[in-house]
Amino acid sequence: MMTTSATAAELRPSYRAAGLTALGVLALYVATLAPSTAMWDASEYITAAYTLGIPHPPGNPLFVLLGRVASLLPFGGVAYRVNLLAAACSALAAGIWFLVAERVLAQWITVHWVRRTGSVLAAVLSATAFTVWNQSVVNEKVYTVSLAFFAVVSWLTVLWCDEPDGRRADRILVLVAYLIGLGYTNHPAGFLVGPAVATAVLVRRPRTLLRWRLIASAVLALGLGLTPFAFEPIRAAHHPALNEGEPTGCSDRIAVACTFSDTTVRRLMANVNREQYGKPNLSDRQAPFSAQLGMWWWYFKWQWLRDPHGLQGALQGALAALFLALGIAGGVVHWRRDRASFWFFGPLVFTVTFALVYYMNFKYGASQSPEVVGVEREVRDRDYFYLWSFSAWSVWAALGLVAVWRILAERAGRTPRWLATAPVLVFGLLPLVGNWRAASRAGEWATREWARDVLNSVEPYGILITGGDNDTFPLWYAQEVEGVRRDVTVAVTSLLNTDWYARGLLRRPIYRYDEREGPHIYRGRSWPMPTRPVMSLTRAQLDAIPDYVELREPQLFEQGGIRAIVDPRRLEFGVPLRSDILVLQMLKDNLGVRPFYISRTTASYAESLGLAPYVLVQGLVTRVSPAALVAGGDTVAVPGLGFLDVPRTAALWREYRAPAAIIRRGDWVDRPSAGIPALYTTTALMLAQAADLQGRTAEAEKMRQQGIDVAEAAHITEWFVGPATTAPPPATGSDAPRGSALPARP
Amino acid sequence: MSRSTHVAGPRAIAARVAAPTLIAIGYADLARGGTLLAPLALVIGYVVLVPLAMFAD
Repeated sequence: MMTTSATAAELRPSYRAAGLTALGVLALYVATLAPSTAMWDASEYITAAYTLGIPHPPGNPLFVLLGRVASLLPFGGVAYRVNLLAAACSALAAGIWFLVAERVLAQWITVHWVRRTGSVLAAVLSATAFTVWNQSVVNEKVYTVSLAFFAVVSWLTVLWCDEPDGRRADRILVLVAYLIGLGYTNHPAGFLVGPAVATAVLVRRPRTLLRWRLIASAVLALGLGLTPFAFEPIRAAHHPALNEGEPTGCSDRIAVACTFSDTTVRRLMANVNREQYGKPNLSDRQAPFSAQLGMWWWYFKWQWLRDPHGLQGALQGALAALFLALGIAGGVVHWRRDRASFWFFGPLVFTVTFALVYYMNFKYGASQSPEVVGVEREVRDRDYFYLWSFSAWSVWAALGLVAVWRILAERAGRTPRWLATAPVLVFGLLPLVGNWRAASRAGEWATREWARDVLNSVEPYGILITGGDNDTFPLWYAQEVEGVRRDVTVAVTSLLNTDWYARGLLRRPIYRYDEREGPHIYRGRSWPMPTRPVMSLTRAQLDAIPDYVELREPQLFEQGGIRAIVDPRRLEFGVPLRSDILVLQMLKDNLGVRPFYISRTTASYAESLGLAPYVLVQGLVTRVSPAALVAGGDTVAVPGLGFLDVPRTAALWREYRAPAAIIRRGDWVDRPSAGIPALYTTTALMLAQAADLQGRTAEAEKMRQQGIDVAEAAHITEWFVGPATTAPPPATGSDAPRGSALPARP
Repeated sequence: MSRSTHVAGPRAIAARVAAPTLIAIGYADLARGGTLLAPLALVIGYVVLVPLAMFAD
């Protein structure tokens, strides 16, 4: 089993060296750390942490608590502090991978510095695999906290494998059970280590399973670890700004009766079990298993050289093949040299790779196999779900590389020539170099500025209808964390299909508009503060609105000067959903009272409600006018795009900050969200077209150039070449709640 | 196993008293609407003291 019998001294973990390695990794992450928020779920989770709120199911209570504590750090902005939490967790994991690698190497490498070098290599490789790195420099979700738990449990299990039967071994096992439970309250992935721990117990000491007192203690510890879920109903009863799923039966204030009510239990369990998303049965595959494995491979290729624009496909493929081979070699070496820890680590790699691919049951990846058409795809690239897989695989890849090094060193002379053959280790540094540009989020301000730009496009006290993650979460962050334009009511259609979200809109206070913070164009005017909520319905009336109305014929929506034909055939599901009913209700209640807007990221929504003749583009949003629009004066009809408020859009454009941020960054790595920079380019091109129509040629050329600059920086110029010059794809993707009984799509 | 003869040390006893106390304080403050003490107490309780209570001799 072991060709070298390691002494107890050789097996003693180098905690100090591991700590220094972790600090080195943390320094790398800090150097490439995002100063602010980012697209997708980053804004939601940073906002949840700051406001001690409840993010989307399962609610991640442990993360919220940790994030809240991180947000109290006395330096940097709130987002920076929460991002630091992500960095610290990943750095901790890297330090632990150092220990795991060192332990395996101690079984077959006798030269101390060689072992140490191999261990550092494992830490660096796992830290610089693209997804690990990219997720560690902005707190996009909860996955790096999970990675830290994953690594700590791994190390404790390895220690348990070495520990002789006795009190200490038992304590380690009970602690492992507790941490698995606690990790689950950060994310269900906390249970991913469970099968590997069970395998290690079964193989190493099956008698353990017969010790009922120990098993009972472990089960109790697991249960204790799950108790942070109690956070959700207690905090939810205070109705924080983010209260997703509203896991409480308390309508107004916290009380014992409503907290310990059936409603609370039902809503909490719905949150914990993520019922909102209605995940299909595992036997109902969303894509062929081969395609799902292909998705893992697609993202595996990213790890060693992220090539967002497809310019180095051959090199990327070659490196992926190399690291796949090195990982397999490392796994074989692990099996042969250190069977004791292999019985944990091997099943772990299997669980977070093959088993996880099967369990997640994803559709095709957003960018995977673009040549395959007509298949359902995930709204975004979900490489982050395989973060644990890539992190663990990196440890094996490092072991494989050390094995190659050993072969070369032994062949180079009668005694191993380690130093002379050390240059082979440069392969382990390739991800550090190759991924730097794409993984780094240093200086990335575009999302924060985008949120500010969108909110400032809305007149004081306006209502803004949005469609998904990227046109909503950054706005939540801007409003709740930075206090930007809290007077604006953001209503996202995907969540309006749930019952709790609309109740939250009714509860939302009306915040006073601060003229000093708003754009210049709104200054010097009177903006009366509304006194009523955004909807005239009571909570009971809201709750009575059905998920959808079985209405297949066109209906007339009439309010003020608006006569819109709502044709269900133009709606996504062929019938009006709860969200459509609520949007029209808000329009009805607020026309002439509050400005009403639909975000341009979901511009087709206005058309699907029959509102196209009434919407006027003002910057990044479209305003619903109380009467049908006609071209003339400041309103220009841009062919194929609709009506444009030229002076308003031009004035807003002058104050937009995201274009400069995008140009400074010089890239937009995440392609599924590249519709955001595209929207800026579209806006500039619309202004250019309007200027052309009005004979302002010099102005037109200037605007056109500004739009091109943004497109070039984001590498999306190809979207604006050819006949469809101003129609980029939308970028609002979201994991829309699917728990309600939605009708079949037509 | 030397279960019957084992006597917990002062660090273990301190952790075993402090962990549930701090967690209880955390939830009480959370129920009150607190957003500062509650997260601090719960994080220290769950992430530091409970593991210490389980592991300390």
